[in-house]
Amino acid sequence: MKTYRSVFRDEAKLDINYVPHRLPHREGEHRLLMEFFSFMLRFPEKMAQRVIITGDVGTGKTVLCQRFGADMTREASKTGTNLRYVHVNCREYRGSLFLVLHHTVTVFHPTFPKRGYSAEELLSALLQILDEENAYVILTLDEFESLIEREGSEAVYKLTRLQEARSNKPQRLSLICVMRNLRAIERLDASTRSTLQLNIINLEKYSKEQLTDILNDRVSIAFKPLAVSEETVSLIAELAFSENGNARFAIELLWRAGKYADTEDLGAVTPECVREAVSGIIPTVRKGELASLKLHEKLFLLAVARIFKGSQRAFATLAEIEEVYAVVCEEFDERAHSHTQLWKYLQLLSAIGILKTEVSTGGTRGRSTLVYLPRIPAHELEKELSVSLKK
Amino acid sequence: MQIEEVFCSKIRMKILKLIERLGELNVSEIARRLSINYETTSRHLKILEEESIIQHKVFGRIRLYRFNERSPKAKAVQNLIGTWEQANKQ
Repeated sequence: MKTYRSVFRDEAKLDINYVPHRLPHREGEHRLLMEFFSFMLRFPEKMAQRVIITGDVGTGKTVLCQRFGADMTREASKTGTNLRYVHVNCREYRGSLFLVLHHTVTVFHPTFPKRGYSAEELLSALLQILDEENAYVILTLDEFESLIEREGSEAVYKLTRLQEARSNKPQRLSLICVMRNLRAIERLDASTRSTLQLNIINLEKYSKEQLTDILNDRVSIAFKPLAVSEETVSLIAELAFSENGNARFAIELLWRAGKYADTEDLGAVTPECVREAVSGIIPTVRKGELASLKLHEKLFLLAVARIFKGSQRAFATLAEIEEVYAVVCEEFDERAHSHTQLWKYLQLLSAIGILKTEVSTGGTRGRSTLVYLPRIPAHELEKELSVSLKK
Repeated sequence: MQIEEVFCSKIRMKILKLIERLGELNVSEIARRLSINYETTSRHLKILEEESIIQHKVFGRIRLYRFNERSPKAKAVQNLIGTWEQANKQ
């Protein structure tokens, strides 16, 4: 009998959520962040810090914050400061200040109710909890653009000024705003913009050499010795560099190439495995977005994938999708949601770039919405959704 | 109130089991999860609070109910529920 031999030692080290102990080529930015927040180790109550981190997709913004959060929390515990690091992806919470704050409150009170009060009340509740527990929070607002897009200046104002207005009380809430660039900030009014204080850390895109270092680091902890050749790492670094220096793409590609090697039982990850992997890859940013969708949004998207799978059509109407969605719901033993609800799902999926919509005015029966699946192969999408829905 | 009066209510026992399982909850959530109306839930919570078995914490308009950490009665009830559930599993 043939024994199964995997190239992996620990593939979890390639997971999108894994935070490595070492961040190659981000040491300077990490030190700067620690410096910005060093007051927390000495007199945490005196001030609240605000930092903006910018950088393109895959430049290490999220992992930098998470590494910093873990390190800062550990340092704070040594000085007896009750510090919590909370990382929220604003896009996952639809850019809603209320949902972002609710998530933060549930760190302290997991069953805190979701309805019946406003974002301001929730912020007051959060500050009350922090006062009572003598705790401090560094709240990272990842994909900050979506919060600004939905809530505008008001949200930032509430997060910064409201706690400043509390007389003689400690400053409890510090912010790290993570975004691709500063364009969204320019949309805020001047006074709100000034509250962010503009401590800005910009992450440049990685060079090919830097990507190679990052990949080598991950190879050493995720793969068995000699399972990944230098040529393989070099090819992945090259491909990721052409994808705008996207390290996330590089790591995803490394993992997929490893999977191909295991499927073929090669015992090593060859450049050919990388070529196989790259042809079928969905950038992880899409995967992350798929994972954050709610059940019926996934079911709706699964219906779209099924319509386009195996057909040569470029678009479908919402009515057609609705029919397939009803069948999908039956399959998953779910009650189909209403047309209005589906319309909202369509808007959301368009907003995050998975689907594209266009209003057709050419027909004789008035306007109808045409739905496109522009970037993701339908069979890949169906596969990813099926896996996600089975979890 | 005598012990038999407190524990003779099926709803009160369900509320206590729910709070034991989830830690803390507001009135609406308790009512929703047990499929009883708001007023009934409030009434039973009031009885349990008067007996110092549970307590509430106020956050603006929100009241979260949980076991009264300082009450020996609360500890006894939590032990009873825990032991009972454990025995049922065996």
